[in-house]
Amino acid sequence: MADTAVNAALGAAVNTAAGSGSSATVAAEPLLQLDGLTKRYGALVAVDNVSMQVADGEVRAVIGPNGAGKTTLFHLITGVVKPTMGRVRFAGEDITGLPAHRICQRGLSRTFQLTSLFPEMSARENTTLAAQARHPRRWQPFGGSGVFSQARAVGDAALEQLGLAHVADRPAGLLSHGDQRLLEVAMAMSQQPKVLLLDEPTQGLSVEETAQAVDTLARFLDKARVTVLLVEHDMEVVFRLAHKITVLHRGGVIADGAPAAVKADARVQEAYLGGMD
Amino acid sequence: MRLSLLLGLTGLGLMIAAPLGLPPFAMTLLTELVILGLFAMSLDLMVGYTRLVSFGHAAAYGLGAYASGYLLLNTQTPLPFVVILAALLTGVIALGVGWVCTQATGVSFSMLTLAFAQLLYAIAFKWTSVTGGSDGLAGIPRRPGPLGLTALTTKAGFYYFALGCLVIAFLFCKVLVSSPFGAVLRGIRENEAKTLALGYNTRLYKIAVVAISYALGGLAGALYAPFAGFANTELLFWLFSGQVLIMVIVGGSGTLIGPILGAAFFMMLEHQLSSYTEAWALFFGLVFIAFVLFAPEGIWGLISRWGRRGAVAEVKGGQHG
Repeated sequence: MADTAVNAALGAAVNTAAGSGSSATVAAEPLLQLDGLTKRYGALVAVDNVSMQVADGEVRAVIGPNGAGKTTLFHLITGVVKPTMGRVRFAGEDITGLPAHRICQRGLSRTFQLTSLFPEMSARENTTLAAQARHPRRWQPFGGSGVFSQARAVGDAALEQLGLAHVADRPAGLLSHGDQRLLEVAMAMSQQPKVLLLDEPTQGLSVEETAQAVDTLARFLDKARVTVLLVEHDMEVVFRLAHKITVLHRGGVIADGAPAAVKADARVQEAYLGGMD
Repeated sequence: MRLSLLLGLTGLGLMIAAPLGLPPFAMTLLTELVILGLFAMSLDLMVGYTRLVSFGHAAAYGLGAYASGYLLLNTQTPLPFVVILAALLTGVIALGVGWVCTQATGVSFSMLTLAFAQLLYAIAFKWTSVTGGSDGLAGIPRRPGPLGLTALTTKAGFYYFALGCLVIAFLFCKVLVSSPFGAVLRGIRENEAKTLALGYNTRLYKIAVVAISYALGGLAGALYAPFAGFANTELLFWLFSGQVLIMVIVGGSGTLIGPILGAAFFMMLEHQLSSYTEAWALFFGLVFIAFVLFAPEGIWGLISRWGRRGAVAEVKGGQHG
């Protein structure tokens, strides 16, 4: 009895100590943090010493001209490519160098720049398979009606969120391009991720399709309250969706902040906005 | 779905009744068909459900055949245990094969499976004390064991034993491909990069399916050795790997039942054509090309398409009436 009480007291004391000692850092520790992330391919530095943070609940966009290292940065975060230097911390843990599927299982779900779906499966089968990946019995080699029905429920909710419920039974390969892009987001959301990584969600869409997809995404992000890291080069899309913006240029960070501040930054205008005109 | 069940059960009924009406020669062919059908079906797990195209599936068959032949010749183990042991042994070895081959994808994967089969082929030639070298293993008995299974030594008895193995393996595969595991395999088939990105360790799934596929292929080989009474290096030769791949594709990959039909079609054609011409393989090649070009969904695909059209016509007819 006495021992338990002492242990409990000790535990509480330790907790308080840890809490008070580093409460500032703990509370402020962002959900996703990159420290000096660097990727070299021979002489080419694709990503150069990038440090940035994504806070819980934030929608952050990484922008930059083509070749600025945006997609490589995504590959580094998701474990597809191993960094030459630097660390990736996610939810308080170092995930640098873990295999891609492990990182995904910890709650980082991504979409691809070029649409990547299961084209012969229906939209619902796509989201169901995505949701199944989070089920503890996802590999069960027999039966599985329980696994399937739970995964289907989660997947259907995601289809609903992205406004795709009406095309749920259509083969993914036959959906409109805009709906395919949204289906990828729905698949990522079916995994109930802590952070959603969107790689150019409007890539390859026409002007009208982009407008529609951005409307749907904006409505969805308002409601879903999910943390998002978005890579995009379409500035209208970025200013419409993001709370915070990080600007990459030639592999390095040149600006970081709220959209208005970033827009006004002289270096950004020179490197990127100006360059567009 | 209903049509396929009906056809399947009819086929099974005919297979069960066959020994009553068929002459011994036909029974031999039918037993060989059951064994080849099982072999082709085992490959379908890889080719049809996971898009892992093996060019070396004869390795599974040969391994099973040699293992079962060796056990029957050198131990007193009864036949039913022998085929199970041989299948398990093949599956365990295939874990290693799968581990190596899945380092690569696409054509490189196929080439590695072929390399493994050729390696085994070479070993079977050289390791004379176990494999009998170029003579192979001969005089393999169908040892019934002490359980009173003497019927296994008869033609009909062995046929039913092989048919039982096929039915059990078919049901096993059916359950497997309909499970969550099977859903992941379909994901790998359609888009492996995406399946990996969703958080599935696709390599482990691929190794598992290679092991299961080889184990069932090994089961087929393990039945063949006591059926034919011998096991030789032909069973490990690349030509046989190619033939079984053709059976799967012509029959209809990704359907389990299709490859069994493909095996039947292959045997029938070989049997008929070879009585007319030496160059039967040439004509079979033409038939294969015709299938790939005009009916890539295979024999079973044609049957189910015809069945669906029948069902649609019936509905329409009903509406008009």
